[in-house]
Amino acid sequence: MGLHLQHLFTGFVALALVLPGGAAALENGDCLICHSEAATVGIERLIDPVRFDHTAHSELGCLACHETVTDQHPDDGIAPSKAVCRTCHEDMDAEYQRSEHAANAACGDCHNPHAVLSTSEVSGSDMNRQCGACHAPDIMADAHGVWLPQAGLHLEMLPCISCHSGSENYAIVLYVTYRGAAPDSASDDAGPGAALAGFEELQALAGERNIAALIDTDGDGLATLEELIRFNTSPYYRNLRLKGMLTPEVVTHDLQILDNRWDCTFCHASGSGAMQSSTLALPQKDGSYLRLPVEQGAVLDALYGTPDFYMMGATRSMAMNIVGLVILSGGLVMPVGHGLLRWLTRSNRHS
Amino acid sequence: MNGETPKIKRVYLQPTPVRIWHWLNAFGILALGASGVQIRFPEFVSLFGSYKSAIMLHNTAGILVAVSFSFWFFYYTLIVHKMARLYVPNRDDLENGLARQAGFYFFRYFLGEPNPHHPSPDNKFNPMQKSAYMLIMFVLVPLVSLTGILLMNVAPLRDMVVLIGGLKFLVALHFLLACALFAFLFTHVYLATLGRTPLAYLKPMWTGWEEEMEEH
Repeated sequence: MGLHLQHLFTGFVALALVLPGGAAALENGDCLICHSEAATVGIERLIDPVRFDHTAHSELGCLACHETVTDQHPDDGIAPSKAVCRTCHEDMDAEYQRSEHAANAACGDCHNPHAVLSTSEVSGSDMNRQCGACHAPDIMADAHGVWLPQAGLHLEMLPCISCHSGSENYAIVLYVTYRGAAPDSASDDAGPGAALAGFEELQALAGERNIAALIDTDGDGLATLEELIRFNTSPYYRNLRLKGMLTPEVVTHDLQILDNRWDCTFCHASGSGAMQSSTLALPQKDGSYLRLPVEQGAVLDALYGTPDFYMMGATRSMAMNIVGLVILSGGLVMPVGHGLLRWLTRSNRHS
Repeated sequence: MNGETPKIKRVYLQPTPVRIWHWLNAFGILALGASGVQIRFPEFVSLFGSYKSAIMLHNTAGILVAVSFSFWFFYYTLIVHKMARLYVPNRDDLENGLARQAGFYFFRYFLGEPNPHHPSPDNKFNPMQKSAYMLIMFVLVPLVSLTGILLMNVAPLRDMVVLIGGLKFLVALHFLLACALFAFLFTHVYLATLGRTPLAYLKPMWTGWEEEMEEH
């Protein structure tokens, strides 16, 4: 991460040194006067000011990437230059270029530099929407269905990069979604059952409060198991439920088909602390998601911690195991107890 | 006892369709149990190699058991019309039969006394068997099958899964019902050895014919 920031800084300094002096006074706001109006610049050059303002790129300023723009733009007739991503993102680019994916898509095909967010600020559904732009979900469901049991469920519950990148250290990210059909106002169109509750819907429920207060009722910045259970069993939120997605904590760009992902126990086995830790992702006004830590082990709660998230083998409940063992042991009472008395009294039957 | 050779009475107790159903059910349930253990505890159990193999076997055996259950149900209900007579305890069973049979299993058996129940094609099960099988066949097996069908189709049946309390409730119900079924199975197999010889009760489930000492 430190190396990455160093590259960003070096790139920024290099870009700043070559900026034409006449344009140095241009601020982001000057550009956005026109570029936030579709009627003025057209849909292709439209920038959402709220989303752009949230990006790391906005801190560098428009001219850092579009260096040929002058304060006479667009009357000067000079086509704005576009920076090359690898100037700043050198390591990431090198990693990406080594993947087969690099021959098929450039950075901009997946990432909008004017709305780019950090990994933790993007929902799993949004991640998959990027992939779905080229890899049609129906075709992918059929292709995975050839070998993967319940392929549709896997595609719904996993960001593609959980399997198709070398990312490690996964966590279960919980999103608020709808119980049953999503309302028409739901912004997410990632497929049946996948629609996430949007900021406006949740804010309407929260009223004056921050939407995090829907779950984190004591406002301590941690969603405890008790708070999750309260949310999941509350009649006030009966139209909502929590959807969990197994998401990489740190994303890599070495997109590929990894041999170890054919083995179901890569995910479906207990023991990984990272897999059993979770965070709650809540939509924000600017389109990003805010991650709230969740009490460790909440996904292992027997019933109501995360009632609609269960990974076979990985999130089984110890309490249920014990109840099951007691039931099985009950079944042994007759063979063992009766069998012992039967053996002790065998002479009665032989006679 | 009086010096005569005891006569053996042969009764055709288990018709072919019932025997086919029973053994499909038996092997299916054993496969479900073994693969189910691997699915729940993959770090400790790898009986069937890969996790995917265990899941494929579990799904296939689950469908087999569900189909054979339907076969059993239609056979007894619509073909031979004996379902209620065989599986539902009558008034005498409840008032006297249960106590009489329990008395035999837990007391008189140890004294060497004979089983008070004499099976016939129309009255195969003793009152305790009737009660237990009714619970198993009308509650446990249908519920474990239905929860299994839902778990095999989580994405397409998501609304139904959520409606009945969510995936965790469904998994817990499926797991605990399966444990109850296996708890019953231990007792079932043990009681099957309680005949005149240890294999006496097993034989009719293979040949159809039960042999019983004739009373005088």
